[in-house]
Amino acid sequence: MRPPLLLIRVLSLTSVLLVASPAAPLESDAESLREANRVLEEEVKLAARRQLYLLVDLSENVVRIKGRGMELHRLPISAWSSAEREALRRLFRLQARPAISRPRTVPEGDPLADLIDLRDMPMEYDLRFDPPLIIAVAPPARERPLLLAKSLAREWWSRVVWRFRRDPAASGGPPRLRLYLSQEAAQSLAWSLADGMPLLIRTPSPS
Amino acid sequence: MLSRLLPVLFSFLWLVACGLRPSSEEVKTAERGPNLDSLRARHAALKGQLEQQAPAGPYILVDTARNRLYVKRRDRVLLTAVASTGSGTTLENPGRPGTQWVFDTPRGDFAINSRLTNPVWVKPDWAFIEVGQAVPKNPGDRIEPGMLGEYALGFGKGYFIHGTLYNRFLGKNVTHGCIRLNDEDLRIVHKLSNIGTPVMIF
Repeated sequence: MRPPLLLIRVLSLTSVLLVASPAAPLESDAESLREANRVLEEEVKLAARRQLYLLVDLSENVVRIKGRGMELHRLPISAWSSAEREALRRLFRLQARPAISRPRTVPEGDPLADLIDLRDMPMEYDLRFDPPLIIAVAPPARERPLLLAKSLAREWWSRVVWRFRRDPAASGGPPRLRLYLSQEAAQSLAWSLADGMPLLIRTPSPS
Repeated sequence: MLSRLLPVLFSFLWLVACGLRPSSEEVKTAERGPNLDSLRARHAALKGQLEQQAPAGPYILVDTARNRLYVKRRDRVLLTAVASTGSGTTLENPGRPGTQWVFDTPRGDFAINSRLTNPVWVKPDWAFIEVGQAVPKNPGDRIEPGMLGEYALGFGKGYFIHGTLYNRFLGKNVTHGCIRLNDEDLRIVHKLSNIGTPVMIF
């Protein structure tokens, strides 16, 4: 008598679980496809213009450097945060590469004495885009806690300044996306950027 | 009594549950519906359009951070070469105070627009200023043969992929913006490329 009873209980529970499973994953599929299609539509246009572009794929946690639709290089995202996902869904252009201190060649000096290297690139910086968007790049807290603290302090200060300069009732400045990249990934990104580079962000569908 | 009733009760509940839940096929047609299907069709079409933008033939890819040059066809790597790219340094231009040269390899999407065999280097002003020499007035004094190797492949704005006498600097950022290769790799790149071959630099 016991085994059939157990079997029936298990079957009952399974069926209850099946009935209770919501339609959310399907909705999520549709939303995810809509978002993927939006990004692809923009990519088709960018790829035809013969220029490299950035795709920050938050659904797969990776920054892709792309050209002619092909992935040329990828940088893993350790983590990210943004309070304004809807505002990220458009085409942006980078205003300027992160500032770097370039060694000066001195006439008659050794031109190979002071060369620039990937390790000279910053690990913590803000990228500003048109239309207004700020991507704050910082290493994960476990790697460089002080740099992360500096980045957060700068974000807080820029929001304060924004409120002071603009309408005090206005929200705290342009939309922000915070990317936590490893030291090497952050430096590689800073190295590979070009002024005016287009940027697309693929946002994940809500889970 | 209860032990006899329980299985019956559970069986009843299970049957009711099965009756309420549509089959998986029904789910596909009813919940996913034409909207999801059209989204999928659109997705496939867009991916196809994007893939068509990729070069059909070989293309050159340059990673300036790691000083590597690749010749690829689709996802296949035909050549991996150690290169030298721009040093990123600056040099004041004494002829135009307040201006400077920046020795970067340009990032972007370019194409081979010239293919020279046994090229000569026509030294620009900075090549003289950098070593503390006066810029010559006679254009003939700027010509220096044998510096660029067997071939030079131009990709715009005076930038070339060319050979080098300084193989020991391959793998480092030491150039004034051009991309240097050793003789053997340069020969392969020359053979695999043509006018119009894409050069993508990041």
